[in-house]
Amino acid sequence: MAVYKRTYKGYEGAQTPEWSRFLILPRYAWESLFKQRFLLIFYVICFFYPIGAGIFLYINANLGMLASLIEGAGNLKGLEIDGKFFYIFSSVQGSLAFILTAFIGPGLISPDLSNSALPLYFCRPFSRTEYVAGKLGVVAFLLSFITWIPGLLLFLLQWSVGPEGWFAKYSWIAPAIFLSNVMWILLISLLALALSAWVRWKVVAGALLLLVFFLSTGLAAAINAVMRTDKGSWLDITSNSGRISLELFRVREFMDYSEGQGISIEEAWVAQFCALGFCLWLLWKKIRAYEVIK
Amino acid sequence: MNPVWLKQISAVLRLEIKKSFFARRGLWIYFLALIPVLIWGGHWMVMRYKAERMHTHAQASPGVTREKLLSIKQGMTTAEVEAILGHPASSRTVTRRNGTEFKYWTYSDGTTTRNITFRDGAVQRLNTEHAACDLQEDTVIFAGIFQFFYLRLAIFFGCMFVFMNLFRGEILDRSLHYYFLAPIRRDVLVVGKYLAGLVATTVIFCLSTIAQWTIFVLHFDPINRDAYLQQNNGFSHLLSYVGVTALACLGYGSVFLAAGILIRNPLITAATVLIWESINGILPAALRQISVIYYLKSLCPVEIPMQQGVPPPVALLAVNVDNAPPIVAVLGLLALSAAVVFISTRRIKRMEINYSTDN
Repeated sequence: MAVYKRTYKGYEGAQTPEWSRFLILPRYAWESLFKQRFLLIFYVICFFYPIGAGIFLYINANLGMLASLIEGAGNLKGLEIDGKFFYIFSSVQGSLAFILTAFIGPGLISPDLSNSALPLYFCRPFSRTEYVAGKLGVVAFLLSFITWIPGLLLFLLQWSVGPEGWFAKYSWIAPAIFLSNVMWILLISLLALALSAWVRWKVVAGALLLLVFFLSTGLAAAINAVMRTDKGSWLDITSNSGRISLELFRVREFMDYSEGQGISIEEAWVAQFCALGFCLWLLWKKIRAYEVIK
Repeated sequence: MNPVWLKQISAVLRLEIKKSFFARRGLWIYFLALIPVLIWGGHWMVMRYKAERMHTHAQASPGVTREKLLSIKQGMTTAEVEAILGHPASSRTVTRRNGTEFKYWTYSDGTTTRNITFRDGAVQRLNTEHAACDLQEDTVIFAGIFQFFYLRLAIFFGCMFVFMNLFRGEILDRSLHYYFLAPIRRDVLVVGKYLAGLVATTVIFCLSTIAQWTIFVLHFDPINRDAYLQQNNGFSHLLSYVGVTALACLGYGSVFLAAGILIRNPLITAATVLIWESINGILPAALRQISVIYYLKSLCPVEIPMQQGVPPPVALLAVNVDNAPPIVAVLGLLALSAAVVFISTRRIKRMEINYSTDN
């Protein structure tokens, strides 16, 4: 066929359904992410604690059986599994999720921006919302598998092996696991994406994520100390997250330090939503099909 | 030292100093340095506003003295309070839906303000405000912010960026090979770049320290200001704070210079150094000396007392079991920095550039 006859023809094959188009980005991103051996090893390590916790729950519920196998184990008394157990679980997994985000998040948007690749996405039937949702999905799905999903599995395990009436007494733990972890995942993922969009050097964006979390705490403490106020705590995204989790898991004994020193729980929720909104606004400003350079 | 090396160091210094001060991606370190200045500036303005308001209140309620203000106790009636203090400088009445009446009265003698809340005609709550800050309390707050915020966060991350950028920035811009192709020894290049980073960070952060201290001193009333400067060795505190800032830039600078040459990802370096510096107080004596913060804390002029109920992470940062004597602290830090820069000069000789993997 002559070259001049090779004119443009629209794609005629089957199209991905509109609702699931944003999932294309995570699919390709995970493929390249898990080629990095360090990341793969770290991700596997993230499952150690949930597995250990599962074994603990099983043993804790079956101490009678243990007593029949091991001499002297008859005096052992099972631990009460309550909000504190799941709060500690969420805290540990949340810290690991933060480290994972610091490695994955900064490299998600910056290469697209520094190589001017955004027009390639947006010239297709793919909106800005889908782009952000897709990039968010890369991190959020990965983090879900190490935070609230194993958390809920542990909850179900405890329900099945735990004492009678445990579920009726502690059914509120399930929404607490989901809500606290999802809030944390959204916060760190959106922050990582916003930094990735604004700081095009991905290794610096990772360090900046660390800086933002430490600086917000330090800044809040400094403002509170100098101004003799507690309004500085609005800026402390780490403590506000912790405050929300403590409230959701109803862990009173860990609240001694925060009570009366920071902002109220309602204000903490508002502060978290403001932080999320700010990150989204930052992303919205930067994610455009074209860039006007003055 | 070979005179050519000196010339080369000054040439590198000239080239790099502009980059260190005005690099576009490094402008946020000015913001880091400015944060404490803004906080103290804000505090100063708030205190001035309070003083002016108290002055107005004092004029509106003549005859009010400190003794009279302090004589008001809970449970007194509005008539009893009015008999002692007279008509309030400002008053407000709020009636709730359930019929409870709240009255908010303010009195001032010009230096102290008392806000009195009445519930159904009886004093329910008393709140006292002072126009002047407490000298001792503010001195400790200044020291706390300097140690916990400025040294550990602002200078730490500022130095991390400036010094890691010296080599990693060149790799990002794909320009390091120009230096490596020039007839200059690589160790001379390291020293030149280190000095440029050191000058930039020292100037930025020391100026910020001076500005913080100036605002801190100015926000006191003249009596407290004289007491701080003359009896509490205010100027010697300033000298110590500026010295500690400069030494912090020197110490952290050397660490991050080496990290920029040895490690590709600054996140790993930042996290490792941050954790190491944070747990310094609980490390064995020998290990404690292999850190920057140990020497810096020893040189800080004001010890921060740990109160009960302080969260463990904060208490961990403040622990300093045995301070090093000043001369040992300065020499120790200089020796540590010299050793780290020396390691960097050795390591750079084996450095190979691979731009494709570093972006």
